[in-house]
Parts: sequence; structure tokens; C-alpha cells
Amino acid sequence: MLMTKKSLVATVAVAASAMLLSACSSSDDSPTTTSAAPTTDTPAATTTLTVWVDAERADALAAVASDYEAATGIKVDIVSRDNATMKDDFMQQAGTGSGPDVVMGAHDWLGELTTNGVVAPVELGDSAANYLQVAVDAANYEGTVYMLPYGVENLAVLRNADLVAEPATSFDDMIAKGNAAGVEYPFIVQQGADGDPYHLYPFQTAFGAPVFGRDESGAYDPSQLELGNGAQFATWLASQGVNGTNIISTEITGDIATDKFLTGQAAFWLTGPWNVKAAVDAGINVVVDRIPSPTGDPAQPFAGVKGFFVNQYSQNKVAANDFLVNYLGTADVQKALYASGGVLPALKAAADEIASDPLVKGFKDAGEDAVPMPAIPEMGQVWQFWGVAEAQILNGADPVATWEKLTQDVQTAISGS
Amino acid sequence: MTVRDKAPVTTRTGPLLFKIVMLALVDAGALFAMSILVTKGSYVAFTIMLLATVGINAIYLSKRALPAKYITPGVIFLAVFQVFVIGYTVYIAFTNYSTGHIISKGQAIEALLSQSQSRLPDSAQYPVTVVRDGSDLGFLVTSADGTALVGFADEPLHKVEASYDGAGKAVATSGTTTLSFGDILAVQQDVFDLAIPVSDSAADGTLRTQDGRSAFIYVSDLHYDAATDTLTNTATGVVYTDGGRGSFVDSDGNEILPGWQVAVGWHNFTSALSETSILGPLLRVIVWTLVFATLSVVLTFGLGLGISLLFDQRGMRGRTLYRIIMVLPYAFPAFLGALIWAGMLSKSFGFINQVLLGGAAVPWLTDPTMAKVAVLLVNLWLGFPYMFLVTTGALQAVPEEAVEAARMDGARPWQVMRYVKMPLVLVSTAPILISSFAFNFNNFNIIYLVTGGGPRDVSASIPVGHTDILISLVYKVAFTGQQRDYGLASAFSILIFILVATISIISFRKTKTLEEID
Amino acid sequence: MSTHDRRPQYQSTALERASRAFRRTGWRHLVAWVLCAFALLPLVYVLSAALNPHGTLTGSNRLFREVGLDSFHRLLNSDQYPFLTWFKNSLIIGLTTAVLSVFLGALAAYAFSRMRFVGRRPGLLSLVLVQMFPQLLAVVAIFILLTKIGEVIPAIGLNTQAGLIAVYLGAALGVNTYLMYGFFNTVPKDIDEAAKIDGAGHVRIFFTIILRLAAPILAVVSLLSFIASFNDFVIASVVLIDTDKQTLAVGLYRMVSNANYGDWSAFAAGAVVASLPVLVLFLFLQRYIVSGLTSGAVK
Repeated sequence: MLMTKKSLVATVAVAASAMLLSACSSSDDSPTTTSAAPTTDTPAATTTLTVWVDAERADALAAVASDYEAATGIKVDIVSRDNATMKDDFMQQAGTGSGPDVVMGAHDWLGELTTNGVVAPVELGDSAANYLQVAVDAANYEGTVYMLPYGVENLAVLRNADLVAEPATSFDDMIAKGNAAGVEYPFIVQQGADGDPYHLYPFQTAFGAPVFGRDESGAYDPSQLELGNGAQFATWLASQGVNGTNIISTEITGDIATDKFLTGQAAFWLTGPWNVKAAVDAGINVVVDRIPSPTGDPAQPFAGVKGFFVNQYSQNKVAANDFLVNYLGTADVQKALYASGGVLPALKAAADEIASDPLVKGFKDAGEDAVPMPAIPEMGQVWQFWGVAEAQILNGADPVATWEKLTQDVQTAISGS
Repeated sequence: MTVRDKAPVTTRTGPLLFKIVMLALVDAGALFAMSILVTKGSYVAFTIMLLATVGINAIYLSKRALPAKYITPGVIFLAVFQVFVIGYTVYIAFTNYSTGHIISKGQAIEALLSQSQSRLPDSAQYPVTVVRDGSDLGFLVTSADGTALVGFADEPLHKVEASYDGAGKAVATSGTTTLSFGDILAVQQDVFDLAIPVSDSAADGTLRTQDGRSAFIYVSDLHYDAATDTLTNTATGVVYTDGGRGSFVDSDGNEILPGWQVAVGWHNFTSALSETSILGPLLRVIVWTLVFATLSVVLTFGLGLGISLLFDQRGMRGRTLYRIIMVLPYAFPAFLGALIWAGMLSKSFGFINQVLLGGAAVPWLTDPTMAKVAVLLVNLWLGFPYMFLVTTGALQAVPEEAVEAARMDGARPWQVMRYVKMPLVLVSTAPILISSFAFNFNNFNIIYLVTGGGPRDVSASIPVGHTDILISLVYKVAFTGQQRDYGLASAFSILIFILVATISIISFRKTKTLEEID
Repeated sequence: MSTHDRRPQYQSTALERASRAFRRTGWRHLVAWVLCAFALLPLVYVLSAALNPHGTLTGSNRLFREVGLDSFHRLLNSDQYPFLTWFKNSLIIGLTTAVLSVFLGALAAYAFSRMRFVGRRPGLLSLVLVQMFPQLLAVVAIFILLTKIGEVIPAIGLNTQAGLIAVYLGAALGVNTYLMYGFFNTVPKDIDEAAKIDGAGHVRIFFTIILRLAAPILAVVSLLSFIASFNDFVIASVVLIDTDKQTLAVGLYRMVSNANYGDWSAFAAGAVVASLPVLVLFLFLQRYIVSGLTSGAVK
């Protein structure tokens, strides 16, 4: 045998101590159940809802959560997650049993979420009428509502009222007014090396080229790719690029655009509500206008609706739905969420109240023409090529040919997926 | 020949006691873990733990297996965390884990049925009270005209007498007990799943509640038959069967999602190798990846070694300060460094163009060639301190007497360098260089942070860029748009690994001749 | 025939001394300054942005336009980003990982260097090869692994610092081990033999002789290991979920990736502070890194 007598003694000693130690430790540790999933066989156990929120709104929601617990006895555990990975993490974890009960997100996630089968329908009931129409539309996917909306976000034009006293009536008027103010950037919008089609969408729709057409129920129809009508838009875009006025440039990143407006070098800035606070803090006399259109038709920006989803595999769906529909859907809570994120509340009552602030009212007005971002999975194929094509056009490529190739690439990608 | 290592003749009590205590702790922990695994029914994990614990005990209690005693602690961590990751990737490569196939079959059926529930457009919102009759749960609802209706899973809705609260909602009826909200929460899964038939006709739908306070009438157009494992769309009559590829399909092969995760054998590998959209740019990307990895190693090693040699001079003052400054790029978080560089290299607003080059407009990040230069430059900045540290260490290991001997023989400084120092340094750093090559071959982060793989190659039909390396190409192919194909990505990862490992093994073989024979 | 130091002694002029000095070390300083400029460029840029009380990162091309410590104040007092907690977490995790990692690696390197056994060479090779596997799916795998472990032993499961350290230790045996192996090989075996004759066991030899002589390489490896774990954000962001458990790298990455985040000067301040621990560690270790103990031992 490999073992000498000494090793044998050692082995026995080890075994004995191991037994002793493990006996001691297991008597201390009774089988523990984590608090994430409540046990149904002990009626006295409290239900705990796990809610994922992004870091910015975690504090606001924590206050809301403690009020809810006081009212119903349901404990709400707010977990702050990184916005960039929240969607993927949720999809991976939803079915494992350790996922959250409720997750915060945006309406354009719905295509992916339903394809993966991870969200459960949410019944708004009669309260659906209390929300802004665009919010309800966005919360709806293929005829079913999956989301409790809490905020509606859209682009608008911020104007430095000290430089330009009057709002612009059209795109060209805006440039003229900006130039008259004598600043380096009459109009600024962020792009980046790969373009930013989200920001340019209002101009694209003004030329009659939305991404997808809609069917009778109003939902986006992936078989109707209307991107192809964008030849006129492409030509106009080229005239704003390096071969034209260079008003829209891929050199301008979000950071640079912010800097130029905040230091008073830009008169008009196409951006979203997330930048208003910074502008006000920098001392700019900010006024929020509708987006001036380059054509006679209205410029319709995308509307992004934010809301809460329920995990299909949650063990606490009754509590989750109660929390969402009956509590988060009330005016006070919606206003509290607005206070932390600056996004217009989706509940009409709250929105009207908040809109007494002229800056918020400006976004609300600009959002009247807004269209929800398509949530269908095919939209993913569009994003692949869209921005890059626009960047190419801005940098001098032939607009019509580039736009045609874009349409073709997207069409191929959609049919091939 | 070296003396074969034999265990010492005497075992001192100190070390022996220490060994016993450590083993006892490990065994205690293992036993505890195994007991929990047994209660959970994870027999595979249990067996692995058992074998591992027995193995560890055998190693440390036996008189031999000396090398194992030293290597085991590190190997345990390696096996659990590194090897598992590799094993998991291999496992996923043989499944269809991707968008639409993330959950299990049972969950998919549950999701499909839940999504197919649609509320009847004219269904009123009924205030509901959950009641219990014996062991059955039921709903007591108040209709708009104030009448109370009650129903159970096997008993359609019918009128009853009920007592009402102040708001006109029926809250109790005879023969049942009313559940408070807290009671509902205790059995909320059952309450949520409960579907009360509205009438004897299934077409009238069922009454359900989601929040325990209001109920609505729903109709579902999907019906699942567990016996035949088919889904039937009651509205269109189409029958869906399990297509074997992880989803329900109709007779034409159209699948409905969500589907589920299922093993698919070699499918991911064949599609990885035959994916036509990537074959076009693939060759270019492979060449660039090899160039990028090789140049990164050569440049960082060259600069790092150069700096080490620069400071390898006695009597040079201020070396400490210089060394600190040289290490600073490595001390600074790498991803931040990459981001800062990306900002500085901006064509119109970047520091490099505006200030250093006096207003030039060098397209660092937008021109295909310049972008490659930019990426190499940033990688050089990020990597040379590491090589500097390593070569400094290696230079320290060069025995003084070898250098002295060479000098005595009349060698000039550069000859000393070439024939004495360099070979010794290369011998000890060869594996570092090879592993640095492999690291940069898969250096997804830096490409992503500095250029995002761009500028975009507009001639390709997939979103690939001029600075994309193999791994970032794989990422873009597997994770395009909203489609996430983890199975495909895993298959690609394995193929890339085979490629890199082959190159590395060959390089190791080649440099073996430099190593001293043991 | 030796050449150095045999020249006839004579008084050299200052110019000759200076030119000799330049030829010997002066040019080295010149080159060093150029390299320092290269190394420091982005860092000076960040420092200037950090000291700029209210600038944007890319808008601050004029270095040190304004100087003030406001950004640091804002950073340290932010209630949304608990910077000091993150800093503390990173330090604990980094130092623990460095120490344990070096220890595990040294143990293995000692075995590979001093002992002969079947599978020694393939073993070394495979240690390096394992680290070459693309980590594309590592995030998912680690998450699943730690969740499962956490069900059995919660103390080292998901959302624990011990769990994160354990994951980092998985990489302890890798290239760093090879580095140490190479260095151990340069320690002559005669020393071991001499100690054995004196009655020392292998454990004694390891701790008292090898580790002491290998101080330079241990210092290098511990520094590398500390940097790797201190600056890692991919794995750490998967493992650590609660904000107050997160590390500095994760926190900074969150600040950056939040598109609405505007306080770039505070972020730059954070980046500056994040580099300090590594600097301090390097300062502390650098006398070990450049010492020539090995040559001393032989003589």
C-alpha cells in the first residue's frame, strides 16, 4: 500500500475531524430558503417582488416601493442594473427561476421579449383610457398589452432664446435665424461616425419615408418596407452634408453637440429631454420648440415609451400586476418617476400636471406628432445598415444610389432572417 | 541526473498538524456541499464533488504525488472556473440556444398559451373577490348592474346572493370563505392560473384575474393537447406539431415563436463553415487579425524591451521616476484609456489633430488604413508597459557572470546584447510573447472601444468593418440586430480556438529549441 | 586584453566629461523624455479634464484652461455613484486576488521547475493554451456557474466578492505561472541541494529559499495580477449586482456607458483616482522588481 502507518493515522485523524466539523456546521445551518421566491406553504411568509430598474431611477422607485409595502404588505426589492445589459440579462435569466418579477424597459424591446417568451401580458383594464394614446399604442404588441407605461420620450428642438427670440417655422427658416444670430453652429444635431438615424428620423418622415408601413390595426407591418421612398430625403440629406452646407456632420458626437450648445456656440439643438437639465444648469435660456420641417409635412420624431414588464415565469404575477396597474399607474407615482428621469409621464393626469412646466410642455407638443419606434424584430435588421448609409451620404456618397443599396440590404436581411 | 524527490524520512508535527487541519476543513466543506446537492437532486454535481474530494484527500495523504500537492490548489480553481467556461461553450455549440430558443419546452408552451389570451373587446372590468369552497378556488364577481356571480374551475358562472361592501362590490357568499389580499398572495400562482368558464360553451371564454382585484373575460385561440403534443389554433384550425428543431411548426414548416432550447448536433458548425455572407470578408478579416496580433506583439515587445535596455544602465539617475511614468499607461484602466484615445483621435475635434498636428485633418478613425494604424497605436500605448515589466524582470534574471565573462572576452556592448542577453531574455519571454499573440488575436475590447470595428466595409452585405478582427466579426454575425445566436457564436469560438491553439503550439515547438534541456 | 578603465589618467576637460556623460547616459534621458511624453499624453489630457470644474471630455482641447477641485468634490459626494465604496471594494478584491494568485502560481511553478513528472511539459503548455479560449460566452457561463454554486454555498455565489475573487483565481495558473517558472529555473539547483543536505524539506526550501530569491518575479506577477483584477469590468459586472458591492471599474464603466451622463469632468476625476492604487503598488514593489538578489545568492 502507498500509505505507511503514519499516513493511516493521519487519514483517520482527518476523517474524524471532518465528520466533527461538518456535523457542527450542518446543525447550525438549517435549510435556508432565499427570500426571492416566497414559499407557498407558509401563509405567514411575505411576498417579495424583485424589480429591476436602471440606476437613475432606483432611488425614486425605492421611495415608491416603501409606500407600496406600507399599503399592501408586499415587499418590493429594487435592484439597480446597468442599462446597457439589462435587456439581455433579463432574457437570459427570466426562465431560470432567479430572474426578477418585474423589469423596467422600453417598448421597442417587445419584439424580442415576446419572441423569447419571457414577458406576460399585462391587463390595463379600464385604466387604459387614462394613458396617452401613444403610450397605449406602444405598450401593445400584436394585439396584446405587455407593458405598464410610465414615460413618453421624444425629440424636440432646444432653442437658445438669448440668441434667437422666435421659434423657427421651417428648417430653412431655422438655419436662417441661426445664422443671423452669428454663431458657429446655427443648428446642431449629434451623429457620429456611423450616423444617428434616430435623430434624423423626423426629417425622414417629413419626406414621406417612414421605415415600415402599418396594417389595419395600426401595428407596423414588416412586409411593408417603406424605407425605399426615401430618395428625396437622401438627396436633401446630401445637401446638408460635406458637399453642401455641412450643417449635419458625422464629426459631431453627442458630447461635442452638448458642449457647443452649452457654451452658446449653437442656436438650435435637436435632442431629447435628457439634456435639458444640463442646458439649464449651464445658464442657457432654453426654450423647447417643435421640430421644424424641411418640407410642408410635419416632422414626426420617434416616440420611445418606457414602462414596466412582468416576467412570464415569475411566481408572483398577482402581486406584480397589482403593483404595476394599481400602483405604478397612479398619478403620484408617475410624477415621482418623472422627477428622477425627466421623461414625460404616460398617465394623462400626471402629464397634464407636469406640462405646466414650459420645457416639458414643449416636448409634449413636439411629441404630438411622434410615432412609436417599431418594436418588431425586423427593426433590428434596419438599424444594421441605416446609420452607416446616412453617414456615407453625409460624407459625399451618391444619395440615391446609397439609399437604394440600403433598402436592398435591409430587404435581403429581413427575408433571410 | 537530479536526485528523485523523495519525501523526507521524518514528518515534523507542525506541518503535519497544519495539513490535517486544512484537509479537515476542506472535507467538512465538501461534505456540507454534497449534502445540499443530494437534497437538491443534483446527482451529477454530487458525483463530481465526491470524486474531487476523494482525489484531493488521496493526493495529500499519500507519501508520493509531490508535484500534485503543489499544483492541485491552482488546478482546482482553474478547473472550476476556466475549464467550466470552455465546457459550457462547447455544450452550447451543440444546441440551438438563440433568440426564440432560450427557454425550455414547457416554458415555451406556457408562454404561447399566455400570449394567446386575448381579452374580449366588450368584456367589462369585473371587480372580483377570490373565494374558496373546500379546496377549490373561485371568483365572486360583481357585474355592472350589481348582481353577484360566482364560478369555479368546473362550475361556470351563475348568479348568487352575496353581501356587498360599501362600494357595491360583492365580498362574500354563503358556502365559501373569502380570501383576503394576503391570502391571495399566498396562493397567487393558483389564482393567476385560474380560469372560470363563463358559460357551458367554451366559445364564450373564461374569466381570469391578473391582480386579484379585477377580472376580465378572455378567449384563447391556442389550445395545447398534451396527449398528442400539438398546438391548435382554434380560430384558423391550423395544427402545429413539434418540429424537432425546438419550435412548433405547421404543415408548411412555418414555426411559431417562442420556441425552446434543444440539441442540434453539428448544425452550428456546418452553418459556421458554410455561412456565405461571411465568406466574402472572412479572408480579409483573418489576414488583418494575424497582422494585428503579430504587429501588436512585435511593437509592444520591441518598445518594452527597448525601454528596459535603456534603463539598464548603472548610474543613470531618475530611473525610478522614469519607470513609474512608463508603467502609468498600464495603471490607468484599459477601457478608459481606449476611450480617451478614441476621443483624441477625432478628425475635427480631437486633440491630436487640433493641437499636436496644428489643425490637420488626419482621418484617424474613418479611413480604413489610418484606422488600422490608430488601433495599433492605441494597443502599443496600452501594452508596452506590460512588456517593459516583463523584460525588466527577464533582464534581471540574466546572470551577471555571463555578462562579465563576455566582456572579459572583449565583447562590445552590442555584442553582449546580441549573443548573451537577448537569447536569455527571449527564452524566458517566448511563452509570454506567444500568449500575448493569442490575447491580441482575440482582443475584442480594444477594437470595439476604439473603432467599433469600423470604418464600415460598405461593400460587404454584413455589418463588418475594416478593423474587425475574427472575434468581433463573429460577434457581429452571431449577434446581429435583435438576433442573438449563442449556439453559432460558440461554434465559431471553438473554431477560432483551434486556429489560435494550432499556431501557438507550433510556435512553442519552434521555440523549444531555445530552451535548455532539463 | 581588457579595454575599459585602463586608459592613462589625465585631467579631462569639462566638455569631454560632458560629452562622455552624454554618450553614456545623456542620450538615454533624451529618449526617455520622448517616451514619457508618449506615455503621458492621454493621461495629462484626462488630468486636465478632471481639474476642469465644468468641461466636457472632448471639448477640452486647451489643456488646463481652468483648474479646480470641484469635479473631485462632486465625484466623492455623489449619491448616485458611491465612489468611495467602489474604491474600497476594488482594493479589497484586487489585493486579495494578487496575493492568492501569486501564491497559487508560485506553488505550481515550483513544482514545474523543481520536480520531474509525467506530463510536465504538456501540463505547462496546456496552462497557457487554456487561457487562449475566446471568452465570448464567459459572461453567460460564469453567471450560471455562480448561480449554481450560490445555491449550495451562498458565501461564494453570485453577488459576492468572494465569488468574484474565486473566478479571478481561476486564471491564476496561466501565463504568470510560466513567468515564474522561467524565473525559478534561473535559480541554480545547487542551492536546493545544499539546503537538502542541511535537512530542509521541500516545503522549507520553497518558502525560505525560492520565494525569497524570486522576489522580483513575484513582485511583477502580483502587480500584473492586481492590475488585471482591479481594471476588469466584464466579469465583475456579471458577478456583482448590488451597487454597493460593485468595483470601481464597473462603476466607471456604468458612468461612461450611460448615454445621458453629462458630468465628464467628474468621470475624468474618477479615472484619475482609479489609477492611484496601481501607482502606489508599483512604487512599493518596484525596488523588488529591479533588485539583483539572484546574482548575490550564488556568490
